[in-house]
Amino acid sequence: MNDQLLLTPDQRDALQEVTNIAMGQAGAQLAQILEVFVQLSVPRINITESSSIATSILQLVGTPQSVTAVRQAFSGTLRGEAMVVYDQNGCRDLADLMGYEDDIDRDSERELLLDVGNVLVGACLNGIAELLGAKLSFSAPTIMAEDVEVGRLINPQQLTWNYALLVEVHFTLEVRDFTCHLMTLMPEESIVALKSALDAFMENL
Amino acid sequence: MTESPADFIVSEINAGIFMLDRQYRVLLWNRFMAQHSDLDAETVIGRNLFELFPDLPQKWLVKKIDSVFVLKNFAFTSWEQRPYLFRFRHNRPITGGIDYMRQNFTFMPMRNAQGEVEAVVVTLLDATDSAIYQTMMQAAMRKLEESSNRDGLTGVFNRRYIDTRIFDEIQRIGRYQAAPFSVVLLDLDHFKRINDTYGHLAGDEVLREVARRVLPGLREPDVFGRYGGEEFILILPQTDLEGARSAAERIRFAIGAEAIVCGEQHIQVTASLGVASFLPPFSSAAEVTQAADEALYQSKHNGRNRVSVYPAQQSQTG
Amino acid sequence: MPTPILVVDDSVMARKMLIKALPAGWDVEITQAGNGVEALAAYRAGKAEVMFLDLTMPELDGYGVLETLQAEGLNSFVIVVSADIQPLARERVKQLGALAFVKKPVDPAQIEAILREYGIAL
Repeated sequence: MNDQLLLTPDQRDALQEVTNIAMGQAGAQLAQILEVFVQLSVPRINITESSSIATSILQLVGTPQSVTAVRQAFSGTLRGEAMVVYDQNGCRDLADLMGYEDDIDRDSERELLLDVGNVLVGACLNGIAELLGAKLSFSAPTIMAEDVEVGRLINPQQLTWNYALLVEVHFTLEVRDFTCHLMTLMPEESIVALKSALDAFMENL
Repeated sequence: MTESPADFIVSEINAGIFMLDRQYRVLLWNRFMAQHSDLDAETVIGRNLFELFPDLPQKWLVKKIDSVFVLKNFAFTSWEQRPYLFRFRHNRPITGGIDYMRQNFTFMPMRNAQGEVEAVVVTLLDATDSAIYQTMMQAAMRKLEESSNRDGLTGVFNRRYIDTRIFDEIQRIGRYQAAPFSVVLLDLDHFKRINDTYGHLAGDEVLREVARRVLPGLREPDVFGRYGGEEFILILPQTDLEGARSAAERIRFAIGAEAIVCGEQHIQVTASLGVASFLPPFSSAAEVTQAADEALYQSKHNGRNRVSVYPAQQSQTG
Repeated sequence: MPTPILVVDDSVMARKMLIKALPAGWDVEITQAGNGVEALAAYRAGKAEVMFLDLTMPELDGYGVLETLQAEGLNSFVIVVSADIQPLARERVKQLGALAFVKKPVDPAQIEAILREYGIAL
């Protein structure tokens, strides 16, 4: 791999902290929507090769299980895609917490997953962008996969990049075994842009 | 007066653009919105969106718009979940088969110098064409799937499909503690002799006619298919051994009641049937079809044209 | 004599940001810790008259530090510095004996106001 893509320990530390701050804002919004306390995770960051993306995602989610995922593209100073991955319990719990009884229909459930995904992606990435002085805009979120094995969320054969930066945070609830993962993927050229934004940020401290 | 290029584009673009303040009053209304709503900008500017369009899903839309003001984040809606917000006509009035224009919306926060959101800009994209293509594609996919599930000769389900349905039934029992299902295997008696005597074309017609005679007697959830050669299979959801036995008897009678007419020929056909229920200790599709096959063998062994059930003691364990 | 203060955060940058936000002219002796376990060791060594404590950390998190301090009889001014801005997080750390809560990214004016309020710095 090109060394230019590797994050220095300082850049990694800065990205982790910036992500942590942004995640706090996303978590607070999720807590407000669901009216429950949301536990935040320590952000995990790694550079992944396209051929091993499936394994990376599986490792971050932890156990092989069936999931539903929402994807959303962002562009501007940084370019990439964010995914929000919900497990089966996650989908049901979300509907439950939002006050739907068992009667939620498929379309309302999808709309709910899209809306929550949009809030998490927007809050987290806007938070990062704001701290780094970057500008972002977002495309409409779409359902990426429903009830699909985690390891098969992304088909490595369809990818046009070699390396990507993968940033993962997850939100859990104390009261239920709800977990959803927010994964942000940025291809090579965005990694370079992100590295210089991080350097500028640290210099201004 | 000359317009700026940006004003010109906002006004003339073939997409809806409008802008709302915190009280949902219209601040901007482009030509696309005016044309489709029959309300021009002068009429709507300054007025409350929900008073202008009482049909809008107000409670839901207010939540959406408020979220943009509060979270300072983009929001979206897709026609796939919510086909339309405004009852606009679309440009496929003849061939569309769709009532109103399908609409994708983007809600964007417009910030002032202090970073506060002062207004929400909404764009509306006409997604009617995508919706029509998607409907057409789904219909084609359904047909394709359907045809790949069917036996080419008789038109009833094929073995591949039957196997997945048995698997589904077993899953259903595991998940919902649904009542057990039963399986009936059916084999035409002396089919080789029919082929040898009347020819293969007649044999094919016999298979088709047998399928035609079985189908009218089935309930809606029952699944009937060709399992190979002259063998057919029937899955009876939520049916115990006794229920399955009487269904099998009705089928035996329907098949053998009258000779099958094939050109000049009148061919008398009978069938042997074997019945088994999916009950403990069965845990797989193979076990229950194997049991039905053993019962079918009993019918053949005992003189054909009859129904046998898998050992009776099994029905007491359920 | 300088005031011994402890800055606890798993991020080096976050610690740097916080130290930069401390009031100018405050005579302090700064110790840094990268997780809860290190923080407790520094506290026991008397390095933490004032502690700036992050919540989400590996090893032992901020809640764990507060619980331990409370169980052993708290003798430190703890100011929680966190990205977790849920009202309930604020409430919880106060119940666990934290003096104040500061959200990230830190605002120097807010830190100074807190220190003045409790008469810690000049």
